[in-house]
Amino acid sequence: MPVIAVLDDDAAMRDALRDLLQVAGFTAIPYAGAQAFLADFAPGRFDLLVTDLRMPELGGVELLRRLRAMGANLPAIVVTSSSGPQTKAQALREGALACLTKPVPGDVLLRCIGSALDRG
Amino acid sequence: MNEPLSIVSERVGAAAQPVRHARPPRAEEDAGERRYRRLLHRLPIALVQIDARPLAAVLGALRSDGETDLSACLEARDELVRTVRQIMYVTDANQAAATLFGAATADALVRPIDFLFQVAPEAARRMMIACFEGKRRHVELMKVRKLDGRVIDVELTVTFPVPPEQLDMTLLTFEDVTDRLRTEAQLRQLQADYSHATRIATLGELASSIAHEVNQPLAAIAMNAETSLRWLSRDDPNLAKVADLTARVADSAHRASEIVHRIRAMAARDVPERGPLHLNEVVREALLFVHHDIEARAIDLSLDLAAGLPRVMGDRVQLQQVIVNFLVNGLQAIGQGNAGRGRIEIGTALDEKGAVGLFVRDDGPGIDPENLDRVFDGFFTTKKDGVGIGLAICQSIVAAHGGRIVAANHPDGGARFSFALAPAAD
Repeated sequence: MPVIAVLDDDAAMRDALRDLLQVAGFTAIPYAGAQAFLADFAPGRFDLLVTDLRMPELGGVELLRRLRAMGANLPAIVVTSSSGPQTKAQALREGALACLTKPVPGDVLLRCIGSALDRG
Repeated sequence: MNEPLSIVSERVGAAAQPVRHARPPRAEEDAGERRYRRLLHRLPIALVQIDARPLAAVLGALRSDGETDLSACLEARDELVRTVRQIMYVTDANQAAATLFGAATADALVRPIDFLFQVAPEAARRMMIACFEGKRRHVELMKVRKLDGRVIDVELTVTFPVPPEQLDMTLLTFEDVTDRLRTEAQLRQLQADYSHATRIATLGELASSIAHEVNQPLAAIAMNAETSLRWLSRDDPNLAKVADLTARVADSAHRASEIVHRIRAMAARDVPERGPLHLNEVVREALLFVHHDIEARAIDLSLDLAAGLPRVMGDRVQLQQVIVNFLVNGLQAIGQGNAGRGRIEIGTALDEKGAVGLFVRDDGPGIDPENLDRVFDGFFTTKKDGVGIGLAICQSIVAAHGGRIVAANHPDGGARFSFALAPAAD
């Protein structure tokens, strides 16, 4: 069963993502911020990352950059609310496979996740 | 119960009668008296002379009966005030008074003082109390009815002569303040309009932040609802999961509605509502409006809210507006060049005088010392597209709360805005 890390500073959103992934048959591990996720990260531990962009402490773009720099090779999907097109473009440049805008229809997110996992 | 008034009328005798120039003119008084009357009649301010000796007699009788608290006494014996209004007479009035009351001649005002207190009988009571307490002057805003029936706002000044035998020359002046009060009301309205306009402008500036705050719970609701449907459409529906998800849908819906409610309160109402408030709560609510801008711009926010602060009397929305304005100013200051790393400190504390204080400090370029005195002036702004109303409104809101607002530069750089309010009396 693929393991997906879920990063969102908003607790309600984080729980909602976790439960959607759960009902779709994934194991979802929620994190409130990038620092907590990085502390938990180990190569091979996760199959996919679903992350918000605007987060306190460490933003999503910077997190993707760091993951790339450490050669993590972790496919990532961004789910964000009000990030501008520039930030989204940055996230895509840093390797995100898709940038989805909240509210994201469940089937769209699951389809993206499916194709990301197929690729990996 | 005794009847002081019958004693009174016996004691004061002729003084109670409505006779103009009641005292017989004496030769040595004549010249001075004539000059005084000329002056009285020529003064451009509405002047009415009344004979307050019957009042002094009533009060004297009450005092010799052991009465010390006239206020309570008159509360219980309403008829005393009514009687005094009948037995005291206007003995002279000038042309300005005739004009103010709409009388054809000044003589038309020579009659019992009753007509002066028809709209505001409580003013007669307060005048009596002032006399009882030995005050020389009594001033109050009241309403009077003109002889044509129109009611106007006046400022009444009563001057009691010190020697009791001259109480027949007690002077009342009336200043028509109808225009002044109307102007004041217009100014208040104008201020409320400005205040409203700045709130709307502030909300406009915060639109993307607010949209995010509302969108977040809505996104969670949509996703939870979809997840519930997925659980339900399974061959073995997981009802416990669905119940949990439904509860969270309700939570998020409440959160969204609470945010909308706050925004509407900020946008719509302009009639202040005072009540005891915890300033820390107001700070947290204000942060809701700028929370997202602060995070999106990776601004380092430090919150230092003192515990156990006494509550303050105030209008929640107005104080929120002041704090949001401080925060928006801070955010904009940080946007000006790269003076600091982007840090905002907000804190509350009890100051040395026992007032509840709030400050917001940024690490932007600070305020040009030349402008420090002017930042609260209406229309003063150093921003390219600012209108300069924000801080002026903040100042008037804080002043209306009986507090003090201060703009300063922090010794380590950046601007520091603060206000302090007296704690609410419990």
